[in-house]
Parts: sequence; C-alpha cells; structure tokens
Amino acid sequence: MFSRKECVAMLLAGGQGTRLGVLTQKVAKPAVPFGGKYRIIDFTLSNTINSGIDTIGVLTQYQPFELNQYIGNGQPWDLDRLNGGAFVLPPYQKAKSGEWYKGTANAIYQNIDFVDRYNPEYVLILSGDHIYKMDYSRMLAFHKLSNADCTIAVINVPIEEASRFGIMNTRPDGRIYEFEEKPKNPKSTKASMGIYIFTWEKLKKYLILDEEDKNSSNDFGKNIIPAMLEAGERMFAYEFSGYWKDVGTISSLWEANMDLLDASSEINLKNKDWKIYARNAAEPPHFIGEKASLINSVISEGANIDGKVENSIIFTGVTIEEGSRVTNSIIMPDAHIKKGAVVDHAIVGWNTVIGEGSVIGEPQDGPVGGEWKIAVMPPDTVFGSGTIVKAGEMAGGK
Amino acid sequence: MNNKMMGVLFASGNESKLNELTLHRTTASLPFGGRYRLIDFALSNLVNSNITRIGIITRNNYSSLMDHIRMGRDWDLNRKNSGIAVFPPFVLNTAREVYKGKIEAIYTILDFIKRAPEDYVVVSNCNVAANIDIVKVLNTHIEKKADVTVLCHKAKVNSSLRVVITENTEGFISDLHFEETPSEEDKLISLNIYVLRKDLLIEYVENAYSRGHVDFEKDILFKEVENGRLYAYEVEGYAAIVDDVKTYYAESMRLLERCVREELFGSEAKIYTKIKDSVPTVYGKNCKVTNSLIADGCVINGTVENSILFRNVRIQEGAVVKNSIIMEDGVVMENSTLAYAITDKNVTIRENRQISGFLTYPIVIVKNKVV
Repeated sequence: MFSRKECVAMLLAGGQGTRLGVLTQKVAKPAVPFGGKYRIIDFTLSNTINSGIDTIGVLTQYQPFELNQYIGNGQPWDLDRLNGGAFVLPPYQKAKSGEWYKGTANAIYQNIDFVDRYNPEYVLILSGDHIYKMDYSRMLAFHKLSNADCTIAVINVPIEEASRFGIMNTRPDGRIYEFEEKPKNPKSTKASMGIYIFTWEKLKKYLILDEEDKNSSNDFGKNIIPAMLEAGERMFAYEFSGYWKDVGTISSLWEANMDLLDASSEINLKNKDWKIYARNAAEPPHFIGEKASLINSVISEGANIDGKVENSIIFTGVTIEEGSRVTNSIIMPDAHIKKGAVVDHAIVGWNTVIGEGSVIGEPQDGPVGGEWKIAVMPPDTVFGSGTIVKAGEMAGGK
Repeated sequence: MNNKMMGVLFASGNESKLNELTLHRTTASLPFGGRYRLIDFALSNLVNSNITRIGIITRNNYSSLMDHIRMGRDWDLNRKNSGIAVFPPFVLNTAREVYKGKIEAIYTILDFIKRAPEDYVVVSNCNVAANIDIVKVLNTHIEKKADVTVLCHKAKVNSSLRVVITENTEGFISDLHFEETPSEEDKLISLNIYVLRKDLLIEYVENAYSRGHVDFEKDILFKEVENGRLYAYEVEGYAAIVDDVKTYYAESMRLLERCVREELFGSEAKIYTKIKDSVPTVYGKNCKVTNSLIADGCVINGTVENSILFRNVRIQEGAVVKNSIIMEDGVVMENSTLAYAITDKNVTIRENRQISGFLTYPIVIVKNKVV
C-alpha cells in the first residue's frame, strides 16, 4: 500500500510546442534549454518540490525520450522518494484499449489509477511550459480556505492583451462566475495561468462525465472548467503576482532569457530559499580567454569564451572562438561559434556549429526599422564557413 | 580472481604545510579548480574506473568532508551493495591512540577490506588532481605480474617531501627514496597511489603492524624494492600533488592553460563534485575579465585577470582581482585591489583595500574573515 498524500501534482508535458519550430522538432517543449543551465520544465518541477509537494506525475507524449531521460528518477529535484517522487507517465495500453492522450483532461483521465494510488484530497494540474516561481502551497491553502472545488491561478495582464488569454470573471470574493476564452471585449484582466487545484473526488467525477461525451475535446479549458461552472461548483480565482512568462514562441523564449540579464526583473534566480534545480552536466568552471570581452551576459559551466559577448545567454559547454561576436543572442548547450562569426539577435540550438565568418541574424543592409526579429538555428547541425541567415529566419525548418 | 578493485583513500596528510587552508578541513576537502575539492579527483577516477566500493579514512577536521560527500550520490556512489564508507578516527582496543601512519590506519579497517569481494585494491592519498584511468593501470599491473604498481609522473621536486623513483629498463623500480631539495630537472615522482592485490596488502599491513611500523612508504614499499616486483606506472598529462600553499597556488594557476584543462576535464571521464544548484554567472555592463576560470553563481562587475573564482563570488564595480584564487562566497568590494592572494571561503574584502602577495609567496586570507 502507498501512504496517503494530501496533494498530488500532475504536470502536462506532452505538448509539441510547434511555434518553437526547429527547436521542438526532436524534443518536447518542456525539455527545451533555458537560462544558461536549465530546461523549461525545471521551473515547474522546482516549484513543486519547493512547495512541499513530493509526488508528481509527468505526462509525456510528444518526443518523450529526451524528457524521460532528463527527469530520470527525479533525483536532481529531490524527487526520488521512497513513497512518492517523480513519475513519467506516457500513454499506455490498457486491457480493452490503448490510445494517445486526446487532450489535457483525457491525459489525467487515463491516469486516474495513478492518482488514486495516493488517495489524495487534492490534485494540482500544471503545465511544463512557463517560466515562473510560485508557491503552490499558498494556493492550496487558499483552495481549502475557500472550500473550493476548483481553484484557478490567475495573473493580471494589461487589458489590451487580455483578449489573448483565457479570462476569469470573478466576484469580489474571488469566486468565478464566468470563464471566457480569448474574449473580444474582456470584462476582467485575470488571465488563467493554466494552473489548477481540484478537489480530487470532484475532478474525477467530471473527468468521467467528460470522457462519456464523444463530442468533447477532453480539454480543461474548453470542457472541464465550463462544465463545472455550469453545474455551479465552487470555483475560485487565486491571484498570483510576480514573474510569469509563457515561452511558447521564439520571441517570448528569447525575451524570457533576456529578462535574466535585467537586474530589476522579478525572475531572480539567486534566491536561496527558492532554488531552481536542474540536472547537472558535470562540467568544469567556464573559462574566459585573453582576447575575450564580456558585457552584460550570463555564462554557464564548461563554456570557453575567446570572442566578444554582449547581452547574451551562454549555456553549458558552449565554445565561442576568437574574433567572433555574439550579441543579444541565446547560445544553447555545447554549441560552437567559430572564428569571425557574427551572431546577433539569434537563438542557436544545442550542439550546433556555426562556421567561420558566418553572419547569423544581423540584417545585411543595416538595422531595419521596427521590431528586430530573431534568427533561429536548429540543434545538432553543422553550418559551414560563411553561412548567412537573415534576421527573423529559421534555418533548417521544414 | 575477479580482477575487480576496491578503493582505500586517506583523507588527511600534509595538513601542517597547508597552514591556514586546512585549519578547518582535511586536505581531501581543500577546494581546488573553481568548483571541486581535492577528493573529487580521487573519487571520480575510481568511479570512472568502475570502482564503487570505497573506504575513506579520516583523521581530523573531517566534518567538511562528510558534508561534501554525504552518501556519495553526486559520484553515483549511493549503491546498495557497495558505495562509500567513511571511517572516522578509530581507536583499536589494542592501540592506545588514534592511528599514526597509513599502516595503522589500514589496520583499523582491515575487516572492511577483508570482507570486500574485490581482489584488488587501489590505495590513494587525496591530494592529487589528475584524470587517471585505473583500469589501464590494473591491466598493466596484471600483465607485468607486479606486486605493487606505483603511479608516478615526471615533475621537478619542489619544496615538499617527495618519493623519487628510479626504474630499470623494464619499468620496475630499482630505487625509492625521499627528496625535499628543489630539483632543476624532471624526476619520476610517486603520486602515492598504489594498485595491488588485496591479500598482499593485508599481508604487508599485518606484518608491518605487528612489528610496530607506521609508514607505508618507508616501512613497506622501500623494503619491497629489493624483491624487484614494484612497477612504476607513469601517468601522462596533468597531475598535481598539492601539499603546501606554494604548490596549491602554482598547480591551481596551471589550470588557466588550455591544454592542462583539456587533460584534466576534456575526456569522457568526467570529474564529479557535490551539486550545489548555483545559477549561471552574471557579467555586468562594466566588467573586464580575461584569462580566468570562473564557476557558476558569480556576479562580476569589476576587473578579473589570471584568476580562479569559485562559486558565488562577487566582484564589485571598480574592484581589481589579479593572479588570485577566490573561494566560494568571496566578496571583493568597490575599488579594492587584490593580487597574488588566496582567499578562503566566505572572505570579504571591503571597499578601497589594497592587498598583494607575491608570485612565490601568495598571501592567504583565512575563512570567514572580513578585511
């Protein structure tokens, strides 16, 4: 028998992240490197353990190998537990049928047995594609205090952006009376963060009902939440304030990385009470050579820098050769920028080699007006000398 | 015979010559190379050579070592059937005090050694930084039918006591002796790492102990030379014996050479250490950094040249650090200058201080001090 857990977390990590293009061709979005030494999923996993929740199911589906291997037994996040811990839950064959996860709700439905083993009072539903630091235990306390059936974490967004989000319309006590997905004329600025706490018995009931509805897309936002609202269940919005960023697009991924260079940004990773954990690559300290020059940048272990680096995030094991220039860019693990290459406003994928004298991301005819677009280089690719990739282009894409 | 090896490590040794640096720690837990402690090299070499049963013999100040190693998980040594056993100072019923030399030390853990199923044992000090494939050493040991294989490297004798080896044409040792006078030319110097059959080690130690001997080198190895079965295995590439402040400084600074780092860290055989989950290092808008080895978690706004910074070091605006080693959590405040210095963990240099040692006499600032 398993001993009982008050709250079990279920992390939806199956999304493909198509908008990240070549970066998610071989790996799921949560496994994409972030911030010099992390992966996107590290933030959610670290939040979970830091919130005192030690049992977490990670639901994978799209390109799961990298993510499965990365999570392993959960040890880097202190999630290798005698009772509980981290579990990777891919879709599996059942007695009568076997199928892929049809939607976010269906993914949880298919793992009802997993959750039931811990007989929890509450279930925390998370997604693995946001950068933020949040104490879920406070949200859980709010859920209990409100005697809620479902609590949805919300963040205030500027009203002009509210129509891009799922918006919760609430009464003064936080009770949700209406949920609008991407409303044209938003009534509130409380955007859903895709983080839910459910009282498990209630959620189970709705998951089973939803599964019986053949027309349902088995999605939390589209089906479960509206159904519960309609039935008049007690649903509350929990307001979160602080740094929170969806990194689902190239520009938001680039921006979130750049936020680490901004000392005033709220995503301060240095807080010792809320560490973000990651699997460690066992690399030596990084080395800054005689000819190197560094301005306003983040550099990780195992990197060798001999070129000029400005306003950039340099990941583990990256080599930047003499005479090259990297500005406003994200250079992912083990990438290699050769002599004389210029990389500007670009994301370079892991293990990729940028040949000598290449020009990546820099507009050829001087700076263009308006927004400077990010150039993206795919992972695991060797680009020869003199490669030119223009601003805003994605190399190697299909 | 099963051709498997176990490891026995001595965590202490030469503490007196490392002065302030080992005031609060064993030689094994001396920070080295920006994010490591000296024992990481010995442990990683063993683990990378598939040796998972490791006894670590400590003598004093071993709490920093215990804190570093914990259950050995960071070296993949938290095993069910083997793993790390740390032996705190242990007084035999038959002895009157804590052991004196390696012979007595091994004698106190003979039960551990006898119980182990491995046939071979690696006996090693923890003051060597090198990346050594011990499987290769064992294969040579077996092929040469040696009694003891002594790992060694070519280097000059410096101011510390070294065991100097003379080998015959087949690579067997024809002479072993101590030398302390600095030499001009390279000599074959023992790294004090040995590979031998376990039953032979037990026999050597029981014999020597019963005769009241204490010194493993002098009382066992030196006497075995005449039997002609001691083999000298030369370790190629970077190998550093760290046993006084001067060698600590000089060997640390060699890590700024690209080829040395390549030899120590460049292979598939990684050097593991305790994971601390530090954030990557942040370089400010006005920093100037050249030729330096820098660990995670630092914040650098000043000038750093030819230096090694450990984790979470902060160099503030206008501060200048040259030819120095700054251990974990060190802070150099605005407009201070530091040259040829070794600052131990958690040292703060306040604003407008000027501190300088000399190349051959680096100044050491002890742990937790505020200057």
